[in-house]
Amino acid sequence: MNEPQTRKGLLITLLVVAVALLGPWLAPHGPTDMVGPVYGAPTGAAWLGYDFLGHDVLSRLLSGGVSVLWMSVVAASLALAVGTTLGLLAGLSRRRLDQWITWSADVSLAFPDLILVLLIVSMLGRAPWLIVLTVSIAFIPGVIRLARASAVAVAGQEFVEAAQMMGYSRRRILFKEILPNILTPLLVHFGNLLTWGVGMLSGLSFLGYGVAPPTADWGLMINENQAGLLVQPWAVLAPAVLIGVFAYGTNILAEGIGRSSAGTGAKQP
Amino acid sequence: MSDGFSRRVFLGNSLAIGGGLLLGGCDSGAATQGAAVLTGKPVSGGRLRVGIIDGDQSGNLDAHKPVGGGIIRGWALYSKFWEWNTDVSTRLALAEFAEPNADASAWTIRIKPGLEFHHGKTIGADDMLFSLLRLTDPKLASPFAGLVGAIDRNALRKLDERTIEIRFKHGQSFYPLDETLISFGGIVPTDYDPITNPVGAGPYKLKRFVPGQRSLYTRFENYYKPGQPYADELEIIEFKDQVSRVAALRAGQIDVASGVQAEHSALLKADSRLQLSVSPTTSFTGFNLNLAKPPFDDVRVRQAFRLLADRQELVDRGLNGFGRIANDLYSPHDPTYNHGIAQRPYDLEQARALLRQAGQTDLRVELTTPPGPGVNAALVFAQQAKKAGVEVRVSQVDGAVFNGPQREQWQVSPGSTPARGFLASALHNDAPLAIYNRSNFHDPRFDDLYRQALAQPDLALRKGLVHEAQQIQHARGGLLIWGFSDVLDAASVKVGGLTPEQTTFASWRFDELWLNHV
Amino acid sequence: MSEPHCNTPRTPAWLSWFVGRLGYGLLTAWVISLVVFIATQALPSDPARVILGPDAPLDSILTLQHQLGLDQPIAWQYLRWLGSALRGDLGVSLDSNVPVSHLLWGRFGYTLVLLAGVIAVVVPTALALGVALALRRDSRLDRWGLSLLIFLKATPGFLLAIGLVLLFSMPHMDFLPAVSILDPDQSLLRQLRFLVLPVWALSLTALPYLTRMVRAAMIEALASDYVIAARLRGVPERRIVWRHTLPNALVPAIQGVALTLRTLIGGAVLAEVIFSYPGIGTALNAAIQMRDLPMVQAIVLVITLAVVLINLLADLLTVLLTPKLRTARRVALIQRNRRGITPWWRRSRGDA
Repeated sequence: MNEPQTRKGLLITLLVVAVALLGPWLAPHGPTDMVGPVYGAPTGAAWLGYDFLGHDVLSRLLSGGVSVLWMSVVAASLALAVGTTLGLLAGLSRRRLDQWITWSADVSLAFPDLILVLLIVSMLGRAPWLIVLTVSIAFIPGVIRLARASAVAVAGQEFVEAAQMMGYSRRRILFKEILPNILTPLLVHFGNLLTWGVGMLSGLSFLGYGVAPPTADWGLMINENQAGLLVQPWAVLAPAVLIGVFAYGTNILAEGIGRSSAGTGAKQP
Repeated sequence: MSDGFSRRVFLGNSLAIGGGLLLGGCDSGAATQGAAVLTGKPVSGGRLRVGIIDGDQSGNLDAHKPVGGGIIRGWALYSKFWEWNTDVSTRLALAEFAEPNADASAWTIRIKPGLEFHHGKTIGADDMLFSLLRLTDPKLASPFAGLVGAIDRNALRKLDERTIEIRFKHGQSFYPLDETLISFGGIVPTDYDPITNPVGAGPYKLKRFVPGQRSLYTRFENYYKPGQPYADELEIIEFKDQVSRVAALRAGQIDVASGVQAEHSALLKADSRLQLSVSPTTSFTGFNLNLAKPPFDDVRVRQAFRLLADRQELVDRGLNGFGRIANDLYSPHDPTYNHGIAQRPYDLEQARALLRQAGQTDLRVELTTPPGPGVNAALVFAQQAKKAGVEVRVSQVDGAVFNGPQREQWQVSPGSTPARGFLASALHNDAPLAIYNRSNFHDPRFDDLYRQALAQPDLALRKGLVHEAQQIQHARGGLLIWGFSDVLDAASVKVGGLTPEQTTFASWRFDELWLNHV
Repeated sequence: MSEPHCNTPRTPAWLSWFVGRLGYGLLTAWVISLVVFIATQALPSDPARVILGPDAPLDSILTLQHQLGLDQPIAWQYLRWLGSALRGDLGVSLDSNVPVSHLLWGRFGYTLVLLAGVIAVVVPTALALGVALALRRDSRLDRWGLSLLIFLKATPGFLLAIGLVLLFSMPHMDFLPAVSILDPDQSLLRQLRFLVLPVWALSLTALPYLTRMVRAAMIEALASDYVIAARLRGVPERRIVWRHTLPNALVPAIQGVALTLRTLIGGAVLAEVIFSYPGIGTALNAAIQMRDLPMVQAIVLVITLAVVLINLLADLLTVLLTPKLRTARRVALIQRNRRGITPWWRRSRGDA
């Protein structure tokens, strides 16, 4: 936490989270209220102008962060949880199971994830939970590989061997020696997952496969308002900037954590 | 047809964002043309490049089963017995005589003498019969065969070398044959094949076709209109989305863009190198209220919905202002249209009262829509319904699912039909013979009137029938038709012959457009 | 006479390992094709309806379904497809009735050109930048460079593309075309200006990872004992960098390039859509929208095979360039060293 980069990243991320969470209360109008002319220019009453149907862009912006946020956080968390479990399982168990899990992970990784997600979402529909599930499935193989490699590396170190020689049970070794020491790379990777998650989810929305209207969502706003970019650019630029800032913040945070743990020489591969 | 997928951010190459902000403020909507159009007499020569939106389909060249851009390409390659006037009526094209008998149970069509196809063969009765049989061939499975489903294939007769007779199944009558056969009834020779021999009698003949990308045509010297077409060559280039096409138009890479988006109108009007043509068509957009699903089996609920729609706002927000409000009835250009029916007002009080009477306060309905331009109108309507206490949930489904087996089972769904006469439009909507009837409107009196109108070539008599039929539609039908949409076409100022009309085909008339050499 | 137990095998270990990996790769491709086939077939949507449009009567649809073979059981359809695919016949596009292979190679070619352009730009830039930053580690240049790289890495790819496009829409900046309408009649070489923006956009997304990898490898190599010793011996710095450390940085860079290529194939989809570039990404999108199943399956197969090939080549190069792996005696050694160290409970006696 001392690393300036970590602080900067945390600050930026929390700022965007605050906008997303508190936004709906601060918004002057409801996100679906049509209160102005189509693609109206910014005025005193509407600082960012109006969008493709006459909604107040500022209100929609303030209400649009929650879906991006919860979806990326849940997708990243799900991927981390499932991937870590499978990765640990692979790294620390019998050769057969290890081979099988690793092989499945490799097969999934062989395929560009955006295309996989596109295929599934385009066919099965745009329910938010489905999108989240698909995105996290796309991320799981990477987490498996990371968790497995980290676990294997940690498990090969002397202090673990020592613990084994001292007769501690496997479960105890797992929870007390291995898990705490792979936490840091996993945490760094969680930051990456958040960044990629935001990117992929907003990319999906941009292509028209994310959440469906009339939900307010930053990625969807970019999609909805593209046609009027030259007439009313704020409807596209404002959500784009927020997405970018959030991705940047989580990334810096992840980097900062990685750096600080490397600096303190924590036990890790 | 833009859909939810191929999207692209638009960049003009001569306006910065700042300029764009200014533009948003000073759109006065005064002039519809960006500059003085070089009008005057048609000029021959040059290559006319037309940009069309093909979405994701590669398309084909089939005259009777066109897919995607194949429909527009058909206007270059094929001619039909009739062609469209600018007021959505028909006039004779390849035919010199096409009339129904007294009760419209048979049509006699005679082709002009001395007409040829692109490869030199003279057009005769055999070709006419072949074309009709091909269009209605169940093995070809053309989706447009449904429009002329009444034709009895076994009763087609050749009367002489240039004349045929068409009769209908079960001896029924079918007056609107011209409007239904025009669209996809291209006349092709007996040796026609859509892939190896795509030959027709249209203004241009095919030189090269790259599916999904572009096609090139050269002038057909023996076109049935002497002196036309004007340009030496025609090139049809396909774009995946609106934005890149407008960019190409502005960059001079194409000359004509058929069907531009309303959002780009301000930009196009301001560009002095371009002209914008706004066709006030009678194509309508609306919603189908499904009578087969509660609560729409109750006429009070249907009327309530029709009253709570703020039609002007729907036109302003759903069509970007490019349209006119409608009165739940289609085909206002048709001479049989009942102009006596007063425009339904926007009346929330009355709507709420009707809903209360029907015991439907706190109503929740689902509006199912495919992705595309109709979504905006659906969202606006949902907002409006809230004011009357109705919650409309907009649910987007895939195009394939929307038109799938459930297509007549959606509670509320959007519907639109291109500009056609009353009888033909009804075939798309609520006629007893309709191809599909999303509102499931089956009123015995209406059906009876419709069938009588089908058999009535006399205009005055038909008028009376249609007037009454429309009154029924207005009083208890399932269609909420809120607006007629304009079609916007943009072209370089070098292009002549592009004039607005009531049909959607202003920029498809490849035999009327020319390129001024500047 | 009996041979000593350590005689050299007839085929080098790395070759057997390679063949094994090749088989593994093909297996992967087959599994993915199967998964995608099932995913596209067992769907609520129906190609016949999409092709015929909303006005089609039911009999037209049923007829078309029968003609397309869609009413057969899934297993039969898959086997039929697999059989033809193995013979080189990838079917006919449902959308345009043109054979899939005909459509595919053109589009794939365009995408290959795009990717080749990106690699040609990114690899030298990443090497140069990575080395430069490593040599000036923790200087101001390094810090600014890293910040810029982090910024590029964090921004979602499509936003970068949109940003580029916006930049070139400003007045006086229109010397680069924003729309990549390639004329299929002219050769690609005459239309290279359409490639500039897409290549640039993709390069920006690929640059950060590779640069940082090169930088990290260089830093590690510069800190190795060997280099310290060389410095102490008075070997000129330039020679140390060019002859001793840079080659070591290249080997991890190969894996980095492979990863980059894999990500690019996915990222190319977004870039192609934004620039309307007629490559395989836009073709896949269109095919998905139109439910053009033969096209989807063929494109997926091609992409998977490409990815497998990339991985294979990268692994092969890595092995061949690492003396320890190249001269390994046994396949198991290569496998183990590629995957990481052996965990203590799996070590058996006598292995290296």
